[in-house]
Amino acid sequence: MAGTLTVASKELRDQFGSKRFLILFGLVVLLSSLAAYQGVDFIRNNEAAGFVYIFSGSQMGFSFIQIMVFFGPLLGLALGFDAINKERANGTLSILLGQPIFRDSVINGKFIAGAAALTTLALGTIGILSGLAIPMLGFGPTLADASKILVLALLTVVYLVFWLSLGILYSVLARRTSTSIMASIATWLVFSIVISILASVVSSALVPLPAGSIRPGGQGGQGGFQMSEEFMEAMQQRTALMSNIEKLSPANLYEEAASDILGVMGGFMRGMGRQEFQRTLTLSEALAANWANIAVLAVGLVICFAASYATFLRSEIRPGD
Amino acid sequence: MTGELIETIKLTKNYGDFTAVDQLDLTVHEGELFGFLGPNGAGKTTTFLMLMGLSVPSSGTAVVGGCDVVDESREVRKVASILPEYSSLYGELTASENLDYIGRLNDLSKEERADRVPEMLDIVGMTDWCDSKVESFSRGMKQRIGIAAALIKQPRLVFLDEPTIGLDPVGTKEIRELILRLNREQGLTVVLASHLLHEVQMTCSRVGIINKGRLVVTETLENLTREMTGGDDRNVEFRLSEMPPGLIEDLRSIEGVKLVTQRDDRLYVYAGVESDYEVSRTIVDHGAVILLMRPKEFTLEEIFMKYYEEG
Repeated sequence: MAGTLTVASKELRDQFGSKRFLILFGLVVLLSSLAAYQGVDFIRNNEAAGFVYIFSGSQMGFSFIQIMVFFGPLLGLALGFDAINKERANGTLSILLGQPIFRDSVINGKFIAGAAALTTLALGTIGILSGLAIPMLGFGPTLADASKILVLALLTVVYLVFWLSLGILYSVLARRTSTSIMASIATWLVFSIVISILASVVSSALVPLPAGSIRPGGQGGQGGFQMSEEFMEAMQQRTALMSNIEKLSPANLYEEAASDILGVMGGFMRGMGRQEFQRTLTLSEALAANWANIAVLAVGLVICFAASYATFLRSEIRPGD
Repeated sequence: MTGELIETIKLTKNYGDFTAVDQLDLTVHEGELFGFLGPNGAGKTTTFLMLMGLSVPSSGTAVVGGCDVVDESREVRKVASILPEYSSLYGELTASENLDYIGRLNDLSKEERADRVPEMLDIVGMTDWCDSKVESFSRGMKQRIGIAAALIKQPRLVFLDEPTIGLDPVGTKEIRELILRLNREQGLTVVLASHLLHEVQMTCSRVGIINKGRLVVTETLENLTREMTGGDDRNVEFRLSEMPPGLIEDLRSIEGVKLVTQRDDRLYVYAGVESDYEVSRTIVDHGAVILLMRPKEFTLEEIFMKYYEEG
């Protein structure tokens, strides 16, 4: 345990001192602040909107949740992708493991440091946003709002640490950092962009639209299109299929859970084509509806870390490591 | 258990079909400066990794400082340190920070670290650079700070893997002198892996020659030389003022002289010490003056080539 804490404190110092972390932190805070500013504007104009809207943004704007959905994989992977193989490349791994420590101290210490850095990033951003918004609004969160924000913060940490674990796994599996960085970038692109394209292609292929279902000229000669019953049904099927395919993405799981926890719409992506206000869910309702999403994220985190732990403990230290 | 610092029995390491180390039987005594000599890829580094408990042997056993390298690998790493080839410490940390980190990994208290970090920096002559980042160091400085890091746990044994590789002559000399000093003054046992024959010759008292994973021979340098020449006979080189006719024939007839050869203006007489008087006498009797007379020793290179070809 002493070895673990020694490694963790050194790694944490490295993380906080690294330009990589500072740039990402700065970027997230900047974007989130802009989103929170929009949120504040929205709250001012809508009496029904509560404090939590600073995290969800206005109807058409972007939000903290969306920033996390998009940048979350990048943040976690960036902090983890070279955890182990950088030490191999620099030849420090054999010196580090040549000390009288247990080998798991190294991977545990690095995981703890990465998780602590991401926790700082998530809580720091949420804290900064709240700190900016309270004086602008002139009121703070209610107790219910505060507990929602706290749960959102925890969920965000789990979500980010999931990506960290995946990054660490890449750093154990790939001997070269150039390989693990490519794997990380590919993962990020797949889960943030490719999956929605894929979902739309697959659902169009699987649910063909009935032929001739769109006819020009609506009732009463007003122009536009007339859509048949079958068409509407097929479109609904498609949407359902798409959202199920998108559920393969951890980012999507997070987005659903986070939006429900805040009890508001998640901004332009989810908000499109729906009513402006839904009935807001209470925290326990949101958790009950999303426990599966949260569990999948947590289990994924554990599986990735367990895999990297087992692989690292069994991996060979070769000449040059 | 014989109480030797290192003892391996049929130590073997396979990487797939490739046998990196093949049935190695090696013994290193406490206080020794042991040279581990072999060409690149002979299995020196792999042996070191196994002896540090970092790589698990495919078969065979090894005991370092009384501890089994597989079952008690953590204990082994309290006794032994390694300076890997081309290694470096953490470039983004300063020399002191690096040593402090290694000290903490060895469970040294704050006070112990406060004592030992400057002490180790002093031993390797790096006190002036204690607050400089390691990434700014030259290769030689990195090696010296690497040695300091290896020493901070106060080991009984250090494995140095090609410690002078990539160093300029000055850096090489400094490292070599440092190794000798640590061995003589601190009684530290050093196992030095090298493919440089003269380096081992200049530092080590005993040498093991490894080739293609097999230990070819383990001997003291003297014995090795004697074995090569087949007894106490040695080659003596003469330079004479002139080369009188009939001299070579007369020398060959002297008892104890095995071989006489002439190359340019040099004469090589292969004989034991007891024949030296008669040989010099005969040369002078032929009217020549001896300008130079010196025993020509076998270099490790010649020894090595002999075993290398056999291996």
